[in-house]
Amino acid sequence: VIANILDGIVLGLQFALLAAGLTMVYGLGGVLNLAYGQMAVLSAMAVVLSMEAGLAPIPAVAVGLVAGGLLGLVLDLTILRPVYRLQGEARVLLSLLLTLGMAFMVDGFLTWRYPTKALTLRIGGGPVEIIGVPMVRGGVVASVITILVLSGLLVFFRKTTLGRAIRSVIEDEQGARLVGIDPQRMLRLILVLTGVLAALVAVTRSLVTPVSVTAGFELTVSALIVTVVGGLGSVGGAILAGILLGIISTFAASSIGTVLSLIILLVAAAVTILIRPSGLLGVKE
Amino acid sequence: MIEDYTEGTGTAVVGGTEQRASRSLVTLLWPIALIGALLSLIPLWLGDSRVMMGVAVLGLTFACYAVGFNLIFGSTGQLFLCVGALAGIGGYGSAILADRVGLPLLLSILLATLASSILGGLLSWIAVRRSLGVIFTGIITLIFSLVFGNLLLGAAAVTGGDGGFHIQTGADTFLRQTIPPYYLMLSLVLIFLLTHGLLRRSYIGWAFRALRDDEVAAELAGVNVARYRVIAAGIGAAMLGLAGSLFAVTEGTISPTTFGFAQVDVETMVMLAFGGIGTLFGPVLGAVVFTVINELIQDLGQLRLLVYGALIIALFLWVPRGIIPTLGDLLRRQRTPARREE
Repeated sequence: VIANILDGIVLGLQFALLAAGLTMVYGLGGVLNLAYGQMAVLSAMAVVLSMEAGLAPIPAVAVGLVAGGLLGLVLDLTILRPVYRLQGEARVLLSLLLTLGMAFMVDGFLTWRYPTKALTLRIGGGPVEIIGVPMVRGGVVASVITILVLSGLLVFFRKTTLGRAIRSVIEDEQGARLVGIDPQRMLRLILVLTGVLAALVAVTRSLVTPVSVTAGFELTVSALIVTVVGGLGSVGGAILAGILLGIISTFAASSIGTVLSLIILLVAAAVTILIRPSGLLGVKE
Repeated sequence: MIEDYTEGTGTAVVGGTEQRASRSLVTLLWPIALIGALLSLIPLWLGDSRVMMGVAVLGLTFACYAVGFNLIFGSTGQLFLCVGALAGIGGYGSAILADRVGLPLLLSILLATLASSILGGLLSWIAVRRSLGVIFTGIITLIFSLVFGNLLLGAAAVTGGDGGFHIQTGADTFLRQTIPPYYLMLSLVLIFLLTHGLLRRSYIGWAFRALRDDEVAAELAGVNVARYRVIAAGIGAAMLGLAGSLFAVTEGTISPTTFGFAQVDVETMVMLAFGGIGTLFGPVLGAVVFTVINELIQDLGQLRLLVYGALIIALFLWVPRGIIPTLGDLLRRQRTPARREE
């Protein structure tokens, strides 16, 4: 049981990191980024290519993170420009369609150019023992990185001036503008940040399972579901929902096989949404 | 955001005179007749090629999906991301009832359509009861889609799983010939358009418009928002189920990807958004345009997806609100200065 819970936490932290990026952009700009999974995959490919070019793994990962950030910036400067001119529901819809087009382009490019590439990072050494349970070393390292990043994010939003400025835009864009905060700049910053987060997702995931060129769609869908269960725009909610769903998923998988466990995971997500329509830690609209 | 460009004909309801009513019916009927006439010429051109007719039938099926989705999303703002799943309930439902249970084909189709309709209504009822917003309705229905897809794979004994379901019923009839399926699906498109058009002109259409523009105001004005949402979802889901059933029996082989989320929902949404959400003819226009686009880029092989994505971005940057609303704006702008000169 403890092994299951620990495995669930490892998986859940991945979900949480995945959802954190998506939820921030939605909360801040009302933009639903369906190319999010593809951003992660592109960053993963940047890491793979740098390693093939002879870079050591750690500098290669750094290249991947920079690539992710740049992708976010590119997204903000190009296809999201017309999206920002719209408001409300129209903005969500256009952002969804344009980033969907972007996702197709990235998927198409990657399957055309690098159909068989995948990112796998291996960390040597045997299993690590945690509370008496042997755990795969890669998973533990990934979880430690994720915990550090997520707590860093929470601290950033609570304690720093910039973080508070961003939160003020999430709560009231007009009000933020009145006290001299430029929502556009905050949004650009967040898009770069989510790009880096997407790259981190790819890196930490590759410590556990290979990240292939076709993983983008699945990553986006899981991120969406976790985001909504946690509450749109709430990073804390994303973390809570991620861990919860991670634990449910490993329990279901260990007791009744994978096809059914996916169904159970999905039903659990649906039930959570129905019980708390605004998400676990979401604010009621 | 979703605007209505055929409101002018709504005078029939307000004016109420006999003459106006008949004129309004004519303004509804002639565009549908025109669409029917134009599309019925396609087999004269492509009728020799079984492959091309298959493409055309699929295009018409997507037109049906887009009309049904438009009725649910465009008319009442419920983002149903389970178009493929509802169509799949029609398709798999009628296949299983006809082949495995041995019911007559027509009855099977009827029952499967009914099941799809009830399920659509139920989803809508849940969303309304829990007052889920657009995105939340989207996610719940997306989850439903994914569960449905996994059930199809999981229950391989009944559905044939990954390998697909080969439908025996109707194998030697006109349903599997080259041309009749095209006219069958075409008449379905026209019937759906007529249904949607008549709905818009009825008091139900007024309720739809009211609740879509301002839900609270509509509720205050005595419109039972919950009821009309469920009605829209029930009718729309019946359209999806019926289209899925007929596509399944004419195609002969169905698999989970025939009704998959990535294959059906994404495509339908792109078609509808391009044609114009909430417009009567937008879904058909979008379906025709994207069927042609898909066929044109088919030969690009692996580059197909890349070009498709680039086209989506380009088209939506060009007409963010869809073709028909943009054209409507252009026409109106041209007309307004002319009026001032008078």
